[in-house]
Amino acid sequence: DKHLRAQSKRKPAKKTKKAVVFFEVEILDAKTKDKLCFLDKVEPNATIGEIKSMFHKSHPQWYPARQSIRLDPKGKSLKDEDVLQHLPVGTTATFYFRDLGAQISWVTVFLTEYTGPLVIYLLFYFRVPFIYPPKYDFTTSKHWVVHLACMCHSFHYVKRLLETLFVHRFSHGTMPLRNIFKNCTYYWGFAAWMAYYINHPLYTPPIYGEQQIRIALIIFLFCQIGNFSIHIALRNLRPPGSKTRKIPYPTKNPFTWIFLLVSCPNYTYELGSWLGFTLMTQCLPVAFFTLVGFIQMTVWAKGKHRSYLKEFRDYPPLRSPILPFIL
Amino acid sequence: MSAAASGTSKAAHGDVAAKRKKGPGALATAYLVIYNVVMTAGWLVIAVGLVRAYLARGSYHGLYYSIEKPLKFFQTGAVLEILHCAVGIVPSSVVLTGFQVMSRVFLTWAVTHSVREVQSEDSVLLFVTAWTVTEIIRYSFYTFSLLNHLPYLIKWARYTFFIVLYPMGVTGELLTIYAALPYVQKTGLYSVTLPNKYNFSFDYYTFLILIMISYIPLFPQLYFHMIRQRKKVLGHIEDYGKVE
Repeated sequence: DKHLRAQSKRKPAKKTKKAVVFFEVEILDAKTKDKLCFLDKVEPNATIGEIKSMFHKSHPQWYPARQSIRLDPKGKSLKDEDVLQHLPVGTTATFYFRDLGAQISWVTVFLTEYTGPLVIYLLFYFRVPFIYPPKYDFTTSKHWVVHLACMCHSFHYVKRLLETLFVHRFSHGTMPLRNIFKNCTYYWGFAAWMAYYINHPLYTPPIYGEQQIRIALIIFLFCQIGNFSIHIALRNLRPPGSKTRKIPYPTKNPFTWIFLLVSCPNYTYELGSWLGFTLMTQCLPVAFFTLVGFIQMTVWAKGKHRSYLKEFRDYPPLRSPILPFIL
Repeated sequence: MSAAASGTSKAAHGDVAAKRKKGPGALATAYLVIYNVVMTAGWLVIAVGLVRAYLARGSYHGLYYSIEKPLKFFQTGAVLEILHCAVGIVPSSVVLTGFQVMSRVFLTWAVTHSVREVQSEDSVLLFVTAWTVTEIIRYSFYTFSLLNHLPYLIKWARYTFFIVLYPMGVTGELLTIYAALPYVQKTGLYSVTLPNKYNFSFDYYTFLILIMISYIPLFPQLYFHMIRQRKKVLGHIEDYGKVE
């Protein structure tokens, strides 16, 4: 008797040191409210990420990256790091699921969208057949600014590729698949349009000649270094593998002192680079590309600026999103 | 396709506070009523002008000249509708409205006005007629909706006439652009060639061809959207005045 009782005492004691309340998790479709999945005996300290993995097991077509799990069908997505017991749910938690659609990693998108312009521009530079009249096939431009422009354009995209591989620390792993088609159309399309005119046999070099080209090159290089400095500074804000967000501040590198006046100086420098390239090539399509890019970057900068202000009480008030004092 | 707000009673009862989602305030409503009345009247003028010219000449040929000025005026005036969406007094997409209005303006000015030779084409009459009937119905629809007294006949007409008028208009537009092509190519209208100091070129002829091609994916989408709207709106006869 005693022996049996001791044994029965020991078994539950091993399993539960103190009473652990397991959660039950039910996942409903956010639109139809259908019950998609029921998980029982979920650890209270389970993260949303772990729950997503469990959901993936019962629905293999929905890998975690394409799952949006929320408390409310129309609410915000919960983060992977959120812990079950810290959420405002009872011991039976009800979550709503939305399919984000096929996902693709940011790294893949960046590499694809940047390799395109690099290659495409070179096709025009080397005057590959079927672009210009056949007598120009594989000839080179007689204007040295055209060679300089090719070097600058190529340098720019090589820099972007290397930064994607070695510098940037992405807070989101993936984006919707359709973005890659949208983004590549934009980058590849504009690259082809610009390259066509700059490398055209009838290209007209800048009006103010060497002077204009020199100033343009200085602006371009200055902004390339600046943009790179900002990317490094932002990377150093975030320890490897983390997704923390901190306020960026000027460092010893003078190119980062612009953080005093601007929230997203990487975009400021990017605008500067393309203004330099526009001046260097004196090409209207390049000006259009610069303008469209500027509009898009301003939208992004304003959004980033707003989320900085929301997240940090002590955010420096002097800063503007993208252009000091102006925008 | 996009009604000016209120089937709701709020604006009609002179509620001054402009609610964010439920349509414009009293002042905006008054302005929109005036706008839509003026536009209805304008297109009626064009309709009457067409009929009178036809009766006077005894033929369908060359009626464009008799309504050229009011057509330009009132069609261009529709640009205000983009503003209405941007400001928020009309709950429609700026992009969608912008696209629709600008395509009309493009045909009026960049094709018909700019290429004199097509003005005597019968295809012009085809799309002008389609536009005229459509707009008279559409603007009176908006007027009555704003005043909360929408006769079922107008609602029915708005969601039914398009079935014929839309393809008719598109046909007229495409034929007109097609007729303009040889003249554009010959004169190099609106085209820029290399070399030039901006290192830019534009071929209006190719551009017009691309525009014609774009009708292929776009027209069916718009047409079937209207058909879906028709089922939604006319399908429920009890839902008086409820519009997308």
